[in-house]
Amino acid sequence: MSSLSGATQRLRSASASERPARGYVSIGDYAAIGDGRTVALVARDGSVDWLCLPDLDSPSVFAAVLDADRGGRFALQPETPAQVQRRYLPDTNVLETTFTTAQGVVKVTDAMALPSSDLGPTRELIRRIDGLSGRVPMRWRITPAFGYGAVLPCIERRGRIPVVFAGPDALAVCSWEAGEPQIDEEAIFGRFEARASSSALIALCAAHQEPLVFPPREHVEARLEATTTYWRTWAAHRRYHGPWRDAVIRSALALKLLFHAPSGAIAAAATASLPEQIGGERNWDYRFCWVRDSAFTLEALLHLGCPGEAEAFFWWLLHASQLTHPRLQVLYRLDGGEHAPERTLELNGYRGSRPVRVGNDAAGQTQLDIYGDLLQTALIYTEGGGRLDRETGRRLAGIADLVCRIWRQPDSGIWEVRSRPLQFTHSKMMCWVALDRALRLRDGGHVPSGHASTWQRERLAIREFIETRCWSQRLGSYTRHAGGEELDASLLLGVLLGYESPDPGRLTATVHALRRGLGRGPLLSRYSGEDGLRGAEGAFLRCSFWLADALARIGRLQEAIELMEQLVALANDVGLYAEELDPHTSELLGNLPQGLVHLALINAAVSIAEAGGE
Amino acid sequence: MSIWGALAGGFVGTLVLTTALRTANEFGLTRVDLPFLLGTAVTRDRARAKALGYLMHLAAGEVFALVYYAIFAAIATSGWLLGMLFGLLHGVVAATALVSILLPVVHPRMGSTLSAADRSPLLEPPGFLMRNYGRGTPIATLLAHIAYGAIVGGFASIAD
Repeated sequence: MSSLSGATQRLRSASASERPARGYVSIGDYAAIGDGRTVALVARDGSVDWLCLPDLDSPSVFAAVLDADRGGRFALQPETPAQVQRRYLPDTNVLETTFTTAQGVVKVTDAMALPSSDLGPTRELIRRIDGLSGRVPMRWRITPAFGYGAVLPCIERRGRIPVVFAGPDALAVCSWEAGEPQIDEEAIFGRFEARASSSALIALCAAHQEPLVFPPREHVEARLEATTTYWRTWAAHRRYHGPWRDAVIRSALALKLLFHAPSGAIAAAATASLPEQIGGERNWDYRFCWVRDSAFTLEALLHLGCPGEAEAFFWWLLHASQLTHPRLQVLYRLDGGEHAPERTLELNGYRGSRPVRVGNDAAGQTQLDIYGDLLQTALIYTEGGGRLDRETGRRLAGIADLVCRIWRQPDSGIWEVRSRPLQFTHSKMMCWVALDRALRLRDGGHVPSGHASTWQRERLAIREFIETRCWSQRLGSYTRHAGGEELDASLLLGVLLGYESPDPGRLTATVHALRRGLGRGPLLSRYSGEDGLRGAEGAFLRCSFWLADALARIGRLQEAIELMEQLVALANDVGLYAEELDPHTSELLGNLPQGLVHLALINAAVSIAEAGGE
Repeated sequence: MSIWGALAGGFVGTLVLTTALRTANEFGLTRVDLPFLLGTAVTRDRARAKALGYLMHLAAGEVFALVYYAIFAAIATSGWLLGMLFGLLHGVVAATALVSILLPVVHPRMGSTLSAADRSPLLEPPGFLMRNYGRGTPIATLLAHIAYGAIVGGFASIAD
């Protein structure tokens, strides 16, 4: 088996002239840069089309990806047609885009700077433009649109520095050798010529609830270098040496972008309302942390040798969920808050995909599977050497008690369907996992054993329910819900999380049935059946990685390797995945970069390596 | 009238003033952050600047409370209403001279009209009435200082 050689350096060419689809580029044409607090999306043509300030879940200042006319962007490109090549600098989250024009070649380096010991801006987007050959006319234009385009900014100058402000937010545009910055009512812009050996620099310096900082050039250059060094050092400390190492490290770097350093939470994705179907209504805000992802997150962090991030994430999860104890909320805000009210924005949406939603009403849904995820997370934490205090142990026991009381209820399931609640098989399996893990934590002395006999009794009852009501002889598979005849890719998690059927052949048969029934090449749909929403959706990439993982675990190693090879090749040119892929056009769909897809990639690679797929 | 009352009023008043400006900050009325401005005069480190700035601001609050007390003593009268008047005057001076003009001149990381080629300012200057930090800054600053003055005046007279 060959690893994906040079995934982070793979280059493709494309024209950077005019945008075809009403001002939008493909979702797969975006690369992400970030600083552990927020993330910017940079298009292949050099435009920063998404940036929320000061944090990832704050309102946007650039959202052209959701409305090409009113969203706001930071465009930077040659004035003449260009071929584009780009890559991340090896093992970093620093993006390098090379424009080749008839007049010459120019290289743009983009990064969100990490803080330094010098007094720097609250947040800082750095764009360095290096002329490589010839004389390339360049133009840049910043059209800020605070509050998802709803707040009109004021543009003024402080000396020669253009500044933009609106309420508590402000931006300063500090530039060197990038032409004299001009301002008008809605934009800051400039033109210059990039000559061989010239180096221009533009720093977008943000302030929130404080005065702006105007850094000198040497500070900005130093922070860019330090940021690059930090990412390289961080990547070098990851301890994965199995197959597809480049893809795994790129996934780790993508996850690190989603890691919210102020709290320890990990966002599901960096964006909101990028559509699952072009023109469709399945547009959701993923800038929250889902309990559902917690076990995979902790597992991946420990596999990669990220004990600091793992510790921070685990305790953030326990602190956040304390607010709703013993019930868990499906998702929490990155600061640990529980309220995430959903609302619709007056934006046109990516290529007309409306509504554009921020906030997420799934927070209020009942999803029984998350209890299994939390207890599995706690077990992984303790098996990794973590210690639980007595109070935490009591809380986890309380959650297991709750599962005993509520597992018979219908719920909205892992896919957060907006149709009526059902007795989803995956949810029941995860309730079984919850009680099983509670018992194992009890065995390890991490939780009190007072109600262990009840947990054992109910664990048995759940398994009986699954085996008698959620198995279809006709499909040769567990079903999507009790009494149904539909398939559901989330049943793969039964294999991944260790649901123990009295007949292990049933899980193996389910894996094959899912591949047959939901698969199309390497891709897998989520489920068959309705979900209360109009329209179709693409194939969920995480399901395909779960399938590769499950195949490795049931002994189908060669199939797992072949599938993994195909899936790794489906990333965009810089190694990122969105949530879905259109099976007809191979276009990435949904929010980007999608944490759970990258988590699933890491865990599948590890499973294959552990199964002997080196 | 007691100097200890004035000092206690200075402490409480500065807390209220800082909290009031912070609240105005949260409501998007202003970006002024006095502890940050004061702290960055002595350190480049953001976190340390905010912490030191708070202490410096509290110390400044006590100094101003002593000035209020001196005037109260000189005119042999005090009270929260008179304190409010002093606070109004204090706020006007702060917005037009202390922070707008004096701070940029003495702050090592802020540009002013006296800056020349040998200076590389890092911090956004406040501008006239500190309006660079948001159009609501003058009114927020005035109201916060009026509250400060009322508290200093009130505490000074309570201790009679």
